[in-house]
Amino acid sequence: MGVVIGLWTVITGSGAVSTDNIPTVAAVVRGAAGSWQDLLSSLGATLETWALGLAIATVAGVTLGLLVGLSQWADSATDVIVRMMRPLPSLALIPLAILVAGLGVKMTSGLVAFAAFWPVFINTRYAVRQIEPRLLDSGRAVGLGRWGLIRRVVIPATAPTIATGVRISVGLAIVVTVSVELVVGTGGLGGYVLAAEQSGATGQMYAGVVVGGILGWALNLLFLAAARALMPWQAVVGRGLG
Amino acid sequence: MTAGTLPRGRRRGRSHGWRRSLARHGASWLGLAAVLGAWQLTAIALDKTVFPTFSRSISVVGQLLTGSVLTGDIVPSVIRALTGFCISAVLGVLVGLTLGYVRWLGEYCSAFINFLRSVPSPLLIPLAIAFLGLGAKMVIAVIVSAAVWPVIINAFDAARRIEPLYLDVARICGLRGFALFRRVLLPATLPDIFAGLRIALSISLAVLVVAEILGASTGIGYFIQNAEQTFAVPQTYAGVIILACLGWLFDTVFLVLERRLLAWERGLSGGLRV
Repeated sequence: MGVVIGLWTVITGSGAVSTDNIPTVAAVVRGAAGSWQDLLSSLGATLETWALGLAIATVAGVTLGLLVGLSQWADSATDVIVRMMRPLPSLALIPLAILVAGLGVKMTSGLVAFAAFWPVFINTRYAVRQIEPRLLDSGRAVGLGRWGLIRRVVIPATAPTIATGVRISVGLAIVVTVSVELVVGTGGLGGYVLAAEQSGATGQMYAGVVVGGILGWALNLLFLAAARALMPWQAVVGRGLG
Repeated sequence: MTAGTLPRGRRRGRSHGWRRSLARHGASWLGLAAVLGAWQLTAIALDKTVFPTFSRSISVVGQLLTGSVLTGDIVPSVIRALTGFCISAVLGVLVGLTLGYVRWLGEYCSAFINFLRSVPSPLLIPLAIAFLGLGAKMVIAVIVSAAVWPVIINAFDAARRIEPLYLDVARICGLRGFALFRRVLLPATLPDIFAGLRIALSISLAVLVVAEILGASTGIGYFIQNAEQTFAVPQTYAGVIILACLGWLFDTVFLVLERRLLAWERGLSGGLRV
C-alpha cells in the first residue's frame, strides 16, 4: 500500500503525466482538507441511507428466508422469481423508483433495501434447506416444539450462511446508495464526487473516491469483527486476500 | 407453520422422482405467474399513471423489441456488457492466478487490492468520464473496474488452495511458464473461477446501467433514464423488464456453458473423494 502511494507521488510529482486528470497526492489531501465539512456531511448522509436500507433488508430477508425455506411448497413457488430477481440489476430500478416514490429518503432507502434484500433472502433460504437433518431430529428427540426448534436449532445452524449473505449486502448496499446519489445528484458521497467532477475539482473528486474506498473497506472489517463476536461458535468463512 | 413442515433428510432422497420435479417446476412458474397476476390486479385497482398494468408494459416490450430500440440501444448495451465481462474475465484470471501462485507478490499486493475493491465502483464513473469522455469506452472501463474483482479473488483463492501434488507432478514433468499455467494451474482452478465469473456477469449488467445513465447517449440504461425523464411510464417499466430478462438469459446461458465446460470436473472430483 505504502509503495503504491509512493509510486503515485513520484509519477505525478515528476511531471511524467498531466496533473489535469491525475492529481498529486498533495492535491488530493488539500482537496479533502479544503472541503472536509462537506465531505464529512456527505459521508454521514451516505451512511444513514445505507444503514436504514440494510437494516430493512436484513430483517425482511431473514424472516422471509426462514418462512420460505421451512416449507417445500413455498420454496418451489419462489424459485423462478428468485432466479429472475437475483441477476436483475437493481440499479436499473433507480429511474423507476424515482418515478414511483420521488426523490426523498423513502426512495433511496427503499431501493437500497430492495437490492440488499436478495443476498440475505437467498442465503437464508438456502441455509435452511441445507440444515443437517440429524440436528433437527436431535432437537425433536429432546422435545423441542416448533419455536424451540427454530430458535435453538434452525437459527444457530443457519447463522453463518446468513452472515455471508449480509456481508454481500453490506457491499451491495454501499454501491446502490452511491449510485442513487450519483444519478439523483444530491447529497451523499456520490453527490460530492459528482459535484467535484462538474466543477473540475480533480483533487476533491479523488478525495471522494478514496474516502469511498476507506468506507467500504472499514464497513467490511467492522462486519467481520461483529460476526466473530456474535457467533463465537463458528469461524466466519472469510473470503479475502491474505 | 408447524414442526412437521421442517425439511427432513430421510424424505429428501426420494424427492427426485420425475413427477416430483415436474410438480416443482410447475410450482415455480406458477409462483412467477402469481406475482405478475398480482401486479396486473394491483395496477388496475390503483389506476395510477406511475404504475401501469403488466399487460400494458409487456405490449410496450413487444414494440421495443421490434423497433429501432433493439438495434439502437439493446444490442449496443449487450455488446458493452459482454466486452466488459470478457476483459474482466481474462484480466481477472491472469492477475488472480499470478498473485495466487507467486506467493510473495500476492502478499505484497493484498492490502492495495483489498482497498481498491472496496471502492464503490459507481464512484469511479465521474473519474472515468474525466479520463475517457462519454461513450462506450468509458462504460466498458467502469464495468471492468467493478466486475474484475470477483474473478481475481476467486482465482487467487483457488490458486492458493491448489493440490500441491499437481504442482509436484507438473514440476517432475518439466512444465514451466505458460505450459504450467495452461495445463495445470488453469484447469485445477477453473471450477472456482467459474463461480467468480458468474458473479462478474451479473455485476457487468448492473454497472452497465448506471454508467449508461450517467454518461452515454445510447444503450438500455440511457433509454430507461430518458423514458423516466420524459414521463414515458410504460416505456420505463418495459426497459426494466427487458433488463430483467437479459439478466435471466445471461445467467441461464452461463450455467449451461459451465455445465458443458466443466463436465469433466464433476466425474473427477467424485472419483477422487472416494
